[in-house]
Amino acid sequence: MRAGIVAVGTVAVVAIVAGAFIGAGSTGAKAQTKKVAPLDLSAAASERPWKRYGNWPSRDYSKFNTLANLASPAAPKEPRKITGPIAGNAENGAKLVADRNRGGSCLACHVMGPAGGTNLPGNVAPDLSEIGNAGREDEWLFNYVYDGRVYNPETVMPPWGSHGLFNDAEINDIVAFLKTLKSPAVFKTVLDDPNKRPAPVENRDNLDPIENPGMWTVDQAQALWKKRTASGFSCNTCHSNPETQFKTWAASMPKWEPRLDKVLGVEEFITRHAATTTGAKWLMESEDNKAMSVYLHFLANGNPIKVDTESAGAKAAIERGKELSQRKLGQLNFACTDCHGISANKWIRGQWLGEPKGQYDHFPTWRTSQLKIWDIRQRFQWCQVNIRADELPPDAKEYGDIELYLASQNEGLKLSVPGIRH
Amino acid sequence: MADSPKIRVPKTAKKGEVVEIKTLMPHVMESGQRKDKDGKPIPRKIINKFTAEFNGKPVFSANLEPAVAANPYLQFFAKVEESGTFKFAWTDDDGTVITAEQKIDVA
Repeated sequence: MRAGIVAVGTVAVVAIVAGAFIGAGSTGAKAQTKKVAPLDLSAAASERPWKRYGNWPSRDYSKFNTLANLASPAAPKEPRKITGPIAGNAENGAKLVADRNRGGSCLACHVMGPAGGTNLPGNVAPDLSEIGNAGREDEWLFNYVYDGRVYNPETVMPPWGSHGLFNDAEINDIVAFLKTLKSPAVFKTVLDDPNKRPAPVENRDNLDPIENPGMWTVDQAQALWKKRTASGFSCNTCHSNPETQFKTWAASMPKWEPRLDKVLGVEEFITRHAATTTGAKWLMESEDNKAMSVYLHFLANGNPIKVDTESAGAKAAIERGKELSQRKLGQLNFACTDCHGISANKWIRGQWLGEPKGQYDHFPTWRTSQLKIWDIRQRFQWCQVNIRADELPPDAKEYGDIELYLASQNEGLKLSVPGIRH
Repeated sequence: MADSPKIRVPKTAKKGEVVEIKTLMPHVMESGQRKDKDGKPIPRKIINKFTAEFNGKPVFSANLEPAVAANPYLQFFAKVEESGTFKFAWTDDDGTVITAEQKIDVA
């Protein structure tokens, strides 16, 4: 009995001390980081219904797989029978193989003799400049273009015919062109030869505001930090010393969030935390949200990326992310790993395919070709639209899984945000 | 905040040294030649003049025209004989003058 009273008394004392400590303001920073951050869990963190960015292709890819939905037609089991020799128009075929409006077409991955004026072909796939000497049957050539999976289920080549990118007559023209290819490509310049083209080097000083306009968003965010909303609160109300409070935080994100049953990145955290604390409406992909994300990453610059990969929730998310990264998506039927695994460090037409490591430490990044900050979720979205798949809203749980998987592959790289890229 | 000018002037220099100065002014530089979605001309709004002076004496100036791209970046050289202050001024079409300055120690 007596022992019981003592025990209760002790608990009460501890509780009071802890309360006083948290209440002590800035000295309670440590205690504060251990507290669970308040998040608004009531609504989506981005626009609903999600609408694709205005200047992006508006094509509808709903007949094909997305990260959230399986819709693509199954691969054919048998090659199509071709009776008699194919009589296509080789001249038209030469145009089609270099047509940038057909998902990059053949030249994106293959060198093909004189096709496309040998203008920056890729080297993801074999050089076909002498395919006309290989003695391939018309039926084999036709089917390899129509849907190469009938001969090689592991191929990364898009099923041009069965996914409707080229019709039969166009494939006949391509076959006719392939049969004319009998001598090695003659490149106009060294840069046109993908095997001699030097890998791109990014060596601009991304933290110099003269070199990188992305740095200007840090100024914007610092102003936003102190801007009071109608509630009378600003970020500064609780976080008056962001430089120390967020010195490492962004390097530990994204993380598994049990309250939402998904992985939360910095941007979604900003939306949900602001909504419930200051009431600021900072939906993902809004300029304010991106500025705050740049700033919070900027504060953690120089710190090595170190995300939780051990908790049960994180482990399961990484496993899902890994699986999703291997899913074939869109009309071009590419998985993340097709370009950034099997074909990494090669050229897809004039674009260099990077490996996953090094694709995370500089996000959000300034894009000189867009004159905008892009966060990692927008980059994911563009990957999909680029391979002709429908993107998901930026706060989709699938992106969370992939982001955590990507961050885990970037562990140890030091944050350097905002980056600067083409 | 976001449209504050960015400048690079060395903090120190030797007497008589020629120093490199970089200036960048975030600005839309709307040429006046473009039309909006409804076909109406978008009014011209550019930085039309830039001046740099050192201890009150002009060292560099430029008249900017509508064809100059957004966020005009100007890089130039100045010979410094004494310690002092560089003052920079950008004049907007609307009459606003944005200024910035930086000191340099000359030994």
